[in-house]
Order: sequence, then C-alpha cells, then structure tokens
Amino acid sequence: MLEGILAGLATVITPINLLMVVAGCFVGTFIGMLPGLGPISAIALMIPITYGFDPASGMILMAGVYYGAIFGGSTSSILINAPGVAGTVATAFDGYPMARQGQAGKALAIAAYSSFSGGTIAAIFLLIAAPSLAAVSLSFRSTDYFALMVLGLTAVAAFAGKGNVVKALMMAVLGLMISTVGTDQTQGVQRFTLGILDLIDGVSFLLLAMATFALSEALMAVLKPKSQADIAREKDAQANLGSMKLSRAEVKEMVPVIGRSSVLGFFIGVLPGAGATIASFMAYGMEQRLAGPKKAVQFGKGSIRGLAAPETANNAACSGSFVPLLTLGIPGSGTTAIMLGALLSYGIQPGPRLFLDNPEVFWSVIVSMYIGNVILLILNLPLIPYIARILALPQTILIPLILFFSLIGVYFVSFNTFDIHLMVIFAVAAIALRLLDFPMAPMLLGFILGGMMEENLRRALIINDDSWSFLWERPLTFGILIVAALILVVPMMVPYVTRALARRREAAGEGG
Amino acid sequence: MLSRDRVGALLMLAFSLGYGALSFRIPLLPFQAEAAFTARTMPQALTVLGAVLSLVLLLKPGGGAFPSSSKFRWGGAALLCALMIFYGLGVRPLGFLISTSLFLIGGFVILGERRLWLILAASLPLVILFWALMTQVLGVFIEPWPEFLRG
Repeated sequence: MLEGILAGLATVITPINLLMVVAGCFVGTFIGMLPGLGPISAIALMIPITYGFDPASGMILMAGVYYGAIFGGSTSSILINAPGVAGTVATAFDGYPMARQGQAGKALAIAAYSSFSGGTIAAIFLLIAAPSLAAVSLSFRSTDYFALMVLGLTAVAAFAGKGNVVKALMMAVLGLMISTVGTDQTQGVQRFTLGILDLIDGVSFLLLAMATFALSEALMAVLKPKSQADIAREKDAQANLGSMKLSRAEVKEMVPVIGRSSVLGFFIGVLPGAGATIASFMAYGMEQRLAGPKKAVQFGKGSIRGLAAPETANNAACSGSFVPLLTLGIPGSGTTAIMLGALLSYGIQPGPRLFLDNPEVFWSVIVSMYIGNVILLILNLPLIPYIARILALPQTILIPLILFFSLIGVYFVSFNTFDIHLMVIFAVAAIALRLLDFPMAPMLLGFILGGMMEENLRRALIINDDSWSFLWERPLTFGILIVAALILVVPMMVPYVTRALARRREAAGEGG
Repeated sequence: MLSRDRVGALLMLAFSLGYGALSFRIPLLPFQAEAAFTARTMPQALTVLGAVLSLVLLLKPGGGAFPSSSKFRWGGAALLCALMIFYGLGVRPLGFLISTSLFLIGGFVILGERRLWLILAASLPLVILFWALMTQVLGVFIEPWPEFLRG
C-alpha cells in the first residue's frame, strides 16, 4: 500500500497536476457559489475540457472541482441562505444565523476548517480501508437502505424546538407528500400532477430549496422591517463581518464534533445512494443530541457545533463516495456517476481491477483529494473577508439580487418559466408556514428522503414477495429501525421518566 | 379558541384530506391493484399520518398567539411577488438582458432605493457580466434579445 501511496504522490506532485488541483478548486468554488450549479454541473462542464488530458490529470482536476464546488455551495448557504445542493442544506441551519449576527467571516472560516478536516480524515480512511469497505457496502440491500432512510428521517427531531415535535413531524410528512408529485418511478403513472404537463417530472429539489429557504427568507426580510435597534446592532456587528477569529474555547468545542462527524460522514458516504445529504443531516441530529440541553437550544440560532457537524460530514461523505466508485465501479452519487462516465471515456474500467491495472489512477485520485483539501484551504481562507463583505451591501440592493440568483439558478436548469411561478407559490406558502411557526428544514429532509425511501421499500417488497417480514427478519434492517425508533422515542419519554422519578423520590422522602 | 398552532393544524388537515382525496385518482393497472405496494400506498399512508398529526396539534392545549401583523410590509412583499411573476412571463419574450435589468431595477425601486447611479450600477453591468459568463465561459445558451430583434 505504501508503494501505491508514494506512486500516487509522485503522480500528483508534478507541476502540471498541482496546477490541475489549484485550477479545479478555484473553478469549482466559483461555480459552486452560483445557485443551481452544484458539483454535478461543475464536473459535467469539465468533461469536454479534460478529454485530451492524461487520465490521472483529468481525474485530479475533477476531484479538485468536486471539492471546490461543495465548498462554494456552503458559501451561498451561509451568506444568503441559498443551498444550491442538497448536501449543503444543513449548513444553512446555523451558518446563515451566524452570518446574520455579523459573523459571516467566522462562519465561512468554520466551514473551511471543518470541510478541510472532514475531507482529510476521510482521505486517510480511504487510503487505509477502501478495499475492505467496498465489501461491506455491497452487503447493504434495499431493505437496509429503506431502514437507513428512516434513520435519516429521525434527524427531524433535531429541528423540533421545545414542544414542536408534532410540527416538525408534520412538516416532514408535507415534504414526503411533495416528493410524491410527478411520475411514479416504478409503475410509470402520474400522481398529483393535476393535469399540468410541467409537473410530470415532479418538483425539483433545487426549486423547493430555493423557494422555501432563499426566496422566503428574502421576502420575510421585506415583510418584517428591522427596528432601529436591530439596524444599529447590525451595523456594529458588520464591523467584524470579515473576521475569522476563533477563540480557544470555540476550537476546543469544534474538535470532537469534527472527529465524530468525519467518521459518520465517511461511513454513510461509502454506502451507494446515501451520500452527503443524509450524512450532513444525521451529523447535525447526532450533535444536537450529544450537545446537552444548554448547547442544544443554540442549534438553529448560530451554533458552532451545528455548523461544523454537517460541513465536516458532507465533505467526509464525498470522500467516502469514492470507495464504491473506485473499488466496485458503482457510483454512489450523481457526481460520482459523472466521474464514472469520465473514467470510461479515458478507457479505464473502475472496479476491483482498477487497483491492479491502473494503480497510478487509483492512488493519484486518493492523494489528490488530500492535496485538493489543503489547496482549497489555502485558496479560500484569504478570500473569506472579501466574500463576507457581500452581506455589507444595503438590503435594498441585496434582496433583489438574492431573488434574481435564486430564480435564475432554477430557471437555468429547466429553461421552463413555469418553475419561476411555482417558486413564487412555494415561497408564499413557506412564508405562511413560517408565520405559523412551522420549521422548514424537516420538510426539505422529508422531500429529499421521500423518493429514495419509497423506491427502496417497494424494491424490498418485490424481492420479499410482497411480505413485510423483512422489517424484523433481517438483522441489519431491524437493528437500524430499532435505533431510529429509540432516537425518536427516548427524548419524548425523558420528561415523563424524570417527572415520575422525582415524584417517587418525593414520596420516598415523605415516607422516610 | 383559534391559536396559531390550531390554524396551522386546520390548514394541514385540509391539505392532507385534499391530498388523500386526490390519491384515489392515481390510475392503477388491474394486475397492480392486488400488489402489497402500489403507486397509491405511500400517498395514502401519508394522508393518514398527516391527518393524525394535524388532529394531535389541533387538540393540544395552548398553541401561541398570532404575531402582530400591523407592522408588516405586506405591500412591499406582494409587489416583489408580482415582480417575480412578471419576470417569469417576460424572460422569454423580452430576452434575458432587458427582462433581468427591468426585474432588478424594479426590485431596487420597490425596496425604496432612489439613487439612480446605484440602481443602474447594480443592475446593468451585473446582467451583462452574468450573461457573458454563462454564454461565453460556461457555454450555457441564453437568448439575450427580445423576440422582435431575433433573426
């Protein structure tokens, strides 16, 4: 293995390949910041450019673009609450409130450090465990995937404030309902399209995320004008907008979060189809539960843990998703599917033999991931104070620009003006729900997981001859479902148990 | 009494029931009707779940008062929504450059910006630069001109 790593290092550390990593990270960050253009689009745009390249150089460029685009996506999530890709939705939950409190530079710096650490730890895992993990990921069946989606849905509890569990669950159900609009993937029948042709393909994630997060947030800012006191406070806060300083206590708080989220993110990323989105939501939910009652309240209001966890996990999951691609030839996500296409176009067949037939490609991609992480950090840290100044624009200018980038980001994907009108409808509905104090995040989580959950459940039923017994007969499925049930039920039971114990103690005190 | 939660619960209940009613209109082929999982299964399960959760919220005591809406700027938000709808209607016939410039200028003016130099500086160069970036660098074709000027 050491020989392979050294060979990979030798391939990557040539002037031309280092240039590829730098160019990839820079272009990726830039494209990722534009709403609507995520890693998939960024890599797809690179394919024609890399045709004439040596395979290792081409893959190194694409890996750089991949990381850059993910970091760029986090930037728009943090600054304007516009998560362009599903993997950065959870980043906005605490990143955006931090930016609003005048800590945009700090939030971007935390995102950069977390992404770097997550990517680095995952790259080390990838070096050590790639071949053996591939076998584990193969043992996952559709029944287990269904259970994993259910486990992902339990992150809903993390968005439920005090006494808001029912509301959070209702919003998750609403998201699941929206995910059923369009053509049913297995049976090919239309559902809830109301005879509108434009709804045959369903509602896109990007449209829903932009409408319910970016558009509704911008419109809420218009609807609820700030008081003089708020304006004065914001002005004071803007003096430190570009500051990236983290106190020792904050770093101390982040370190264990990054460690846990890297491990979780990497292992979720290894499973084909699960990917960065589920990893980021699960890391967010896990950290909220581990934070303790005092810190847990800060989640959603600008918590450092709440920002570091999903950022670390989504980057770690991106590295993890290379395991099935490189070792089995199975793309774990849309992005790695495009990379698979690129590899095939170079005449390289990913799979168990890649390790033997083209070791320079295998190892150079893994090593370039690490180098890409370092370069991304070096490139982006100096730019953060300037990027953060975007928020210093007056609201009269900033809000129409946010509306424009959100609308055009969705329009450029489909070139269908119906999408613009649908966004307005969703944004108005989101404002009504926000005024009624319903959280938006569980809806997006339900929407993201809905399609995958239904597909895996149906596949599991077909494989098991329409019998539901797989839910309790297959140990892995059963185990994951039990964990999911415990995560949902235990926090609900805690107040009752505490009260009962207190009553018993009181009674014992009186008796004694 | 109608609290904020109860209004939300009633809206969600109505939505769930409407969604459930529509789920019966999902077409099923004869051989699919007997299957354990059809295209209707998930929607109908979600209908039940949505209705039950709405009822739980409806019957829960308390539920928060409505926020005072007297200070809300409904007019500004409504005008921006109308502007977005007009942008959707106009982006094809007017072309990207004119429609987007008008959209941004309209947005700035609705929000109270009156400095002409700032309005023009924040709209026209950005629109042209963005168009050039998308078409010339990233290779995404966007029709720049209105219908009557196209060849």
